Amino acid sequence: MSQLILGVGDLGASKTSGGSVKTFALGSCVSVLLLDPKVRAVGMVHVALPESKINQTKAQSKPGYFADTGIPTLLQEMAKLGCNPRGQGMIVKLCGGANVMDPNDTFNIGKRNALAVKKVLWKYGMGAVSEDLGGNFSRTVTVFVDTGDVLLSSPGRPDWKL
Amino acid sequence: MTDKNIRERIVEEVKKAPMLSISASKLMEITAQVDHETTEVVDVVMHDSNLTARVLKVVNSAAFGLMSPVTTIERAVTLLGERVVVGIAIGDSAGQLFNKALTGYESAGGELWKHDLRAAIASRQVAVHGKAGISADFAFTAGLLHDIGKAFLSDFMEGTAGPILEQIENNQATDYLESESELLGINHTEAGLILAEYWSLPEPLKVVIHHHHHPDQAPEEFKALTYCVHLGDIIAMMGGCGTGSDTLQYNLDPEYIRYLDLSPTQLAEVLLEVDEEFAKVSGSIAESKESPR
Repeated sequence: MSQLILGVGDLGASKTSGGSVKTFALGSCVSVLLLDPKVRAVGMVHVALPESKINQTKAQSKPGYFADTGIPTLLQEMAKLGCNPRGQGMIVKLCGGANVMDPNDTFNIGKRNALAVKKVLWKYGMGAVSEDLGGNFSRTVTVFVDTGDVLLSSPGRPDWKL
Repeated sequence: MTDKNIRERIVEEVKKAPMLSISASKLMEITAQVDHETTEVVDVVMHDSNLTARVLKVVNSAAFGLMSPVTTIERAVTLLGERVVVGIAIGDSAGQLFNKALTGYESAGGELWKHDLRAAIASRQVAVHGKAGISADFAFTAGLLHDIGKAFLSDFMEGTAGPILEQIENNQATDYLESESELLGINHTEAGLILAEYWSLPEPLKVVIHHHHHPDQAPEEFKALTYCVHLGDIIAMMGGCGTGSDTLQYNLDPEYIRYLDLSPTQLAEVLLEVDEEFAKVSGSIAESKESPR
């Protein structure tokens, strides 16, 4: 069984039977999951920040780090597996974007990441069929190629599906 | 068993902790002084052969990415920065605590060290970007030590993560710290303070360890430093580097704006810089431990 592990700002796709794509401990980061039922492929990008304009060099070396460069690059990566390059026919799921317990909402990177990701998806005419965003906890997420199931876990909580 | 009994047992455990190496203690004393000279740091390293070997290994690791080998301690300290040298000394002499699995927080071995290292880097970047007017390298040291008390509470908290999270979600506790106090009669900042006293750490480090979740309670002269670590801790957790079930289960004190000038754009820059610096420093320290001396 092949498991692709993604770090912060990484992206990857797989259509290997029995395979999965996983990322550990999303805090304020957002994981965008793309599932193509026709090609039987799944992809994930671990987005850390909303916009690449704060560091273009980083955007070039690690496009997955930002929402605006991460999603287009993930679509390109999935196109290599035979998926539609504009994301047509894909199922979108989102998770992560946790927030700090902050009365003034000044440290709202999680919320801003979630909004930025949705904005980019809208440009492609894509929207999430399910999401698990926000809250004050970290999430480890795995998507399985064969079933398209998305499994989430967090210390101190029972695992759950998206 | 009553809370008082548990508290006493935890305090006993703290007092059985391994002592810090003489070099680590000296380095913390020196770097706590604003007007210290780098030569004082170099002197301490040069008189400790184990530390000398480790510092040279770290600076020459592939993760650090230098083109030509470094052979002198002076140059190694300049290239690594005093903070990383202090970090190596602390990490080596208290590795047993930092690498302990925090099973009571459902956190694996090594996670505390990773969280503390990331918080240390973030505290330093907050001090720099936020114009805190304090030694940024000292904020790093404070960040590295801030959560050490969890190493002593963890064994007494087995099986409590779920109920504590439920308590916080139902507003029966304001944060994880309050739940620790209720459950054990002591929280990780108090246990950390007892260790800091046992280790005779400089006063500002004791203050940060004790007040990093409630920086408003720190004495005025150490407030800026305490707020740097308060934010550094939160930034580490936002970056996915927590210590298990208590990740993000603490309140942000918005009063930080009185001591730190940090816009949302700067915060994003800090997050990015922390990611890059963490990959470099944690990679080089880990790599230098793996290869034989």
